[in-house]
Amino acid sequence: MSTFPDDLLFTREHTWVRVDDNIATIGITDYAQDAMGDILSVKLSDNDSSVEQDESFGFIESAKTTMELISPISGEIIKINEDITDDLGILNSDPYDTGWLIIVNVKDLSELDNLLDSYEYSDYVEEEVEVE
Amino acid sequence: MEEWRFIPFERFSAFENMATDEAILKVGQQRQTPPTLRFYGWTEPAVTIGYSQNPRREIQYDFCRKGGIDIVRRPTGGKAVFHDGDLTYSFVAHERNPLFSTDIMKNYGTISRCIARGLEKAGIEAALVEEGRGSRVGSLDSFCFSLPLRNELLVGGKKICGSAQLRSRSVFLQHGSILLDFDPEITARVMWKNEENLMEDISKLKNSVTCVNEHSENGIETDLLCRYIKESFEETMKVRLLESSLTPREEVLKERFLRDKYLRPEWNMEGKVEIHGRNTDR
Repeated sequence: MSTFPDDLLFTREHTWVRVDDNIATIGITDYAQDAMGDILSVKLSDNDSSVEQDESFGFIESAKTTMELISPISGEIIKINEDITDDLGILNSDPYDTGWLIIVNVKDLSELDNLLDSYEYSDYVEEEVEVE
Repeated sequence: MEEWRFIPFERFSAFENMATDEAILKVGQQRQTPPTLRFYGWTEPAVTIGYSQNPRREIQYDFCRKGGIDIVRRPTGGKAVFHDGDLTYSFVAHERNPLFSTDIMKNYGTISRCIARGLEKAGIEAALVEEGRGSRVGSLDSFCFSLPLRNELLVGGKKICGSAQLRSRSVFLQHGSILLDFDPEITARVMWKNEENLMEDISKLKNSVTCVNEHSENGIETDLLCRYIKESFEETMKVRLLESSLTPREEVLKERFLRDKYLRPEWNMEGKVEIHGRNTDR
C-alpha cells in the first residue's frame, strides 16, 4: 500500500515537493517507485540549471520502463542528491526522505496552488487503480 | 467501438524512426491523437541503444561504424537491439485509456497478447514469458534479446520479440522488435564484449533466440504479418484500427526531433541534446 505524507504536495506525474521558505525538495512518490520496480538509473538536469513547473528535469529507468520526471515547481536547481549515485536503492526504499532527487530555489510560490495535496493525490491514484 | 490509428509499414532511417515515434508520443500527451500502432522497418542496418546505454561500452562501436550500421539512441529504456531482419512496432496510448493500465507489466502483457495472436494467425505459437524466467546469454548482457522479461514473447522457449517502454506525462510509448530473420553471428559481432567468448556467445544465441522465418517454410511477407497483428489488436482490444499517417503537427515535431536530437552525436553518443536553446537531456 503506497503512502502519501500530508506535509507534501504532489503532481499527477507522480513527483512530490516539500517546501521550506523558498527552498523546495523534490522526489518521486511511493506509488511511482512501486510501479517502476527496482530503479536502475537516474539522469537529472545539471546543478545550477533552471527548471519550470510541469517541465522535465530528468528520467528514471527500471527494468520495466523509463519515466520522465516532471517538476512540481519552477526555480533553480541548487543541489542534486549525490547519495543516489552510490545507492539507487534508496529511491525505492525511502522515496520521501533520503531518496529525494533535487533541491530547488523556488521562483514563484504561487505555483504551489496548482499542485495536489496528499488526499487529492491519493484519490487520483485510486482512480487509476479503479480504471484498471 | 473505439477507433485507434494505424500507420502502415514503411522503411525509414534509424534516425527518422526514432524522431517519428517521439513526435507521436508528444502529440499523444496533448490528447490530440488516438492510441496509435505503427509498423516500420529500416533502410539501413541499425543498432538502437536504450536511453541510458553507453554505445562505446555496450556495443562494438567501431565494427558498426566501419560496417555502415547506424547507431541511434532510443527514447525508450532497455537494452541494445540490432535491426536488420526485423519488423519493428511502436505503440502509443494514454495510461488512462480504459483498455490500458498504470501497471506497466499489464500493458506489456496486453500488447504481447495481441502480437502473439498475430503470430498465431501466421502459424506460429508464441507464449508469454512468466515471471523469473530466462537467463542471460553469455557476455551479451547489453543485448535486448539476451534475456526474456516477463510478458515478452517466446516461441519454442526462445525469444522472438523484445520490447521497451517510456512513460511520460501519463502516456506510454512501447517499442517492440519482432525478429523475421536472425543472424546470430553478426548480432554477436555487433554486441560482444569479450572476444574470447565470441564463438560461445554465437552458439548461445542460436539456442536462445528465434525468428519468424525459422518457423515458416516459405517465409511470411512483412505486409501480411503486419495485417495479422493489426487484426489481432482489433479482435483482442475490441477496437477499430483506421489506417492513417502522421498529423501535420507530428510531421513538424518529427523534423525538429530529427534535426535537433536524433541526427546529433551529442544525443546518440552521450544522451544530451540542446533543443531550442535549452540544455536538456533527451
